[in-house]
Amino acid sequence: MNRLNHLPTLKVDTTDKIAFIYKGKKYYGAKGDTVASALFANGVRIFGRSLKYHRPRGLYSLDGECSNTCMEVDGIPNVRCENTLLKQGMVIKEQNVKGSAENDMMGFLDKMDWAMPAGFYYNVMHKPAMIWPLAMKQIRKAAGLGKISPDYEMPGKFDEVFLNTDVCVIGGGPAGMMAALCAAEKGLRVILMESRPWLGGFFEYRSGVYKDRQTLHDRALHLANEVKAQDNIRLFTHTSAVGTYNNNLITGFQIGKKEDVFDERYIEIRANSVVVAAGCIERPLIFDNNERPGVMQIGCALRMAKTYGQLPGKRCVFSIGHDLGLEAAIELHDLGLSIACIADIREDGQDTVLLKKIADKKIPLLKGWVATKAHGRKIVKKVSISSIDGQISKTFSCDLIVASAGMTPVTGHITVALGTLKYDNHTGFFLPDQMPEKMYAAGRIFGLNDPISIEASGMLAGLKAAHDCERGSTGSLGEIREAEKVMTGLPGPVRGTKLVTAPVKGRKSFICFDEDATIKNIKQAIEKGFDVPELIKRFTATGLGPGQGGIPGHNLPLYVARYQGLPDVSIRPTNVRPPLVPTLISTYAGVNHKMFKTTPMDEMQKKDGGVFRNIGVWQRARYFSDDFSCKKEIENVRNNVGMLDGSTLGKFRLHGPDAVKALERVFVSDMSKLKQGRIKYSAMCNDDGCVIDDGVVVKQGENDYYFTTSTGRAGQTVEWIRYHTRYDGWNFAMVNLTDSLGVINLSGPNARKVLEKIVDIDLSNEAFGFSEYKEFMIADTIPIRAMRLGFVGELSYELHVPASFMKSVWIMLKEAGKEFKIQNFGVEAQNVLRMEKCHIILGQESEQRTNLLDVGLGFLWDRNKAEAKTVGSVALRQAEGDKTRFKLVGFKTENNSRAPRDGALIVDDKVRGYVCTARDSFSLNEAVGMALVEAELSQIGTRLEIYEDECGDDRIYGKVVAMPFYDPEGKRMKM
Amino acid sequence: MALTITCPICGKRNGYEFKFGGEEKGPRPDEKDLTPTAWCEYVHMNKCVAGVQEEWWFHKDGCGSWFKIHRDTTTNLEMEVPKVKHPAAKIGGGKSDEQA
Repeated sequence: MNRLNHLPTLKVDTTDKIAFIYKGKKYYGAKGDTVASALFANGVRIFGRSLKYHRPRGLYSLDGECSNTCMEVDGIPNVRCENTLLKQGMVIKEQNVKGSAENDMMGFLDKMDWAMPAGFYYNVMHKPAMIWPLAMKQIRKAAGLGKISPDYEMPGKFDEVFLNTDVCVIGGGPAGMMAALCAAEKGLRVILMESRPWLGGFFEYRSGVYKDRQTLHDRALHLANEVKAQDNIRLFTHTSAVGTYNNNLITGFQIGKKEDVFDERYIEIRANSVVVAAGCIERPLIFDNNERPGVMQIGCALRMAKTYGQLPGKRCVFSIGHDLGLEAAIELHDLGLSIACIADIREDGQDTVLLKKIADKKIPLLKGWVATKAHGRKIVKKVSISSIDGQISKTFSCDLIVASAGMTPVTGHITVALGTLKYDNHTGFFLPDQMPEKMYAAGRIFGLNDPISIEASGMLAGLKAAHDCERGSTGSLGEIREAEKVMTGLPGPVRGTKLVTAPVKGRKSFICFDEDATIKNIKQAIEKGFDVPELIKRFTATGLGPGQGGIPGHNLPLYVARYQGLPDVSIRPTNVRPPLVPTLISTYAGVNHKMFKTTPMDEMQKKDGGVFRNIGVWQRARYFSDDFSCKKEIENVRNNVGMLDGSTLGKFRLHGPDAVKALERVFVSDMSKLKQGRIKYSAMCNDDGCVIDDGVVVKQGENDYYFTTSTGRAGQTVEWIRYHTRYDGWNFAMVNLTDSLGVINLSGPNARKVLEKIVDIDLSNEAFGFSEYKEFMIADTIPIRAMRLGFVGELSYELHVPASFMKSVWIMLKEAGKEFKIQNFGVEAQNVLRMEKCHIILGQESEQRTNLLDVGLGFLWDRNKAEAKTVGSVALRQAEGDKTRFKLVGFKTENNSRAPRDGALIVDDKVRGYVCTARDSFSLNEAVGMALVEAELSQIGTRLEIYEDECGDDRIYGKVVAMPFYDPEGKRMKM
Repeated sequence: MALTITCPICGKRNGYEFKFGGEEKGPRPDEKDLTPTAWCEYVHMNKCVAGVQEEWWFHKDGCGSWFKIHRDTTTNLEMEVPKVKHPAAKIGGGKSDEQA
């Protein structure tokens, strides 16, 4: 196609060709083309098929307000082709077709509309329930737009940016640019967001006169240059604002340019004040086949020519209701489009200058006429027009119908921020009624059409927004009054048309293109009793499609009011919600999809063959071989010595005169009796007595304590302790040492022999016994906090080492342990080892409702410290003696059968409990586990029936036995 | 999150940085003679006012302190501390200025 190359408004460079693939064939577009304009240039008129009836669809608004031109681009479904710039090598496919968009085998569905009335699914697919799976399968085949597989991973780079500003202006048209310039001149920081890739808005593509000899296009360029010259305006083009919230938080997304490091990025702006200058979109004219390819809105037809250099057709009929239509007709006529006729909905009130030009060019103009039907099976061939009352009609052959009922303001940004709208009879608009605090509207939103008025309203809004910023100059109130005075002298809002539908029955007159909803469907919904637009919207799905209500948004409430004969004041717009423009989920997700913490030993354990798993916020070595039963690791700990990286443990220092009081508040034990050098195992409960954490507390010095928490609770511990002491004003301080200290757990009968080789203190059982704490240095350099604990049930030293020395100590132990066959063991081996000792892990042997007494830790609780107001103590006192609670029991399986899976249910004729952890124990040579069961099943010797998921009639049987299973006297950890 | 919160130490910050800590209900009651009902009231029952309420927030991504603010639950905006108590202004939880 030859393009109109001489236009100053052109945004494409036809000398720079871009190749792309469409339906397997190579085509060329020009640099600056969108996918849609490139396809159109190559003769594509039918872009896809509609959701329900598989009707052919084509270019309509050119701003992505409907799903007509959603296509699959590079494997990504539902790409809005009108807003997506063409890139080299793009692969483009049509959607929702069986065959091709031209010849869709499902096209017959268009004739089946009688079988699919409004609310079809609700009414017809109701009973019998049996047919549902079958019907669903068939419907899913026929309906729905793009296809995507569940494991699809979105390609591309996504970013996010969080900004602060004084004034945020939404819309880079004349009003928005004026507002931004006004605020910037006050020295304020301004952000300007424009959804198209360039500034200029309503002026940018028009050649009409702005003032004197300057065209609107030149004026747009002039303003854009001024904006770009202002250092304190941060400009975001190709950026849609998709959410506006109270407190003036604005969210949006930006499409990356070639040189940007992102494809799309999420933008969140916190502004002091906001100017909404989002302008207008066109209100669709509703007549028969009003979405046939070849029917397009004024802006679409005009911008195809002026921006992309393509005449949208050869012979055209206009059916319009706004001066922009007359202006477009003149411009397109001058560019070579043959205009058969202009049907103007308005009987009078047209701009006289435009009327004279139309008369001079001898373009036939019919006032008070409107298009009633587009003819042509796939694309427009003819059009019928009639007088508004439907009395007289004419038919013209044509390949293009430019149709638009009038303008609709883009008010979503105002209502989403909880501003209110009111129907205005003069403009036919929903005008801003109560604006959100520090938010101002400007420009065509008010129904302004005169270029000078549009700019003046932008200036006024900019001054007001600037005045809201404390840093604005004090003289601005006077300037605001001045600007208001100027506004009153300028042309005000223009009268808008009220017509919604041409005189048609409406069976094929579409009010919503995305959801294939017709005027007839709306009538059916109203007949069924859905009398409010908000309900009709849901029942017919009108406006629920990917266009976010851009097409039916205004027409629906207007039509419903007209049909019901309601007075104007009762007309209410339907609600809109963010995102106002369809946004990719990956844009919201942004960067850093795989986030986790690593311990200081991460690298070394990986070298040693560690198999890592994400556990909570951490990545930890779970296994050290591909034998996930960990037999070797376990046996080595039981027989020789093993080494575990326990750095994920929560580690805290709590000190100060009121330290004991704070500990007593959250720990169930009596901390005042704790002696220096001794370790106390204790637990924390919540206010319901449910156990949330366990760990050990050590007294390091006077009023100075060191304690550990479980890995999962480390993040909340400071918050928890401060929360429960927030009224007391106690004098204590807390330091989170979780990341600055690492932990090595050296366990096994040979642990002492290994440690002796690298430290010079006496490690004998008499000098450093079980449950004792010592601080010492390794090589006079590395400070160590050492604890003798027995989590895995063997002689163990838990060494707390500064993170930066972890690697050194690890290597020293490994060297020293060589002769004793030291080996790594991972989290799973530890899990089995501690389970054999019936040492619990919270979250595994407990869930949210499990209290301290249920898991058998009641002995930790000191009930004689009421004055401490320990968190959970009141609830524990109430829970004591409650026979209905679960109890933690140990069990062995019968007949030497395997261990049930964790989480398997304990049943008889109903569920009586569940298995917490169960494993085949190598140390005991049988399967053992712990389970939470109803109290009456907790007696030793009780037979447990264990049900696993999908086990059918097969059951595993177990018997309640005494805990612990391994080394009941605890000799091995105390040796 | 549209909410901003003024931390007494760090100043006005984005609501993302904070964690909600419930309505202001006063200090923990004495355990002596505490009935289960009274305890349950204290722990679990909330006023849930539609209007301005006094509530606790924790600056988790900041200084790590607990503090109280007034917030209008209908607009999700932080409010100035009400100085004079007007009968129409509903203040949820805690002691009012008059009682204090």
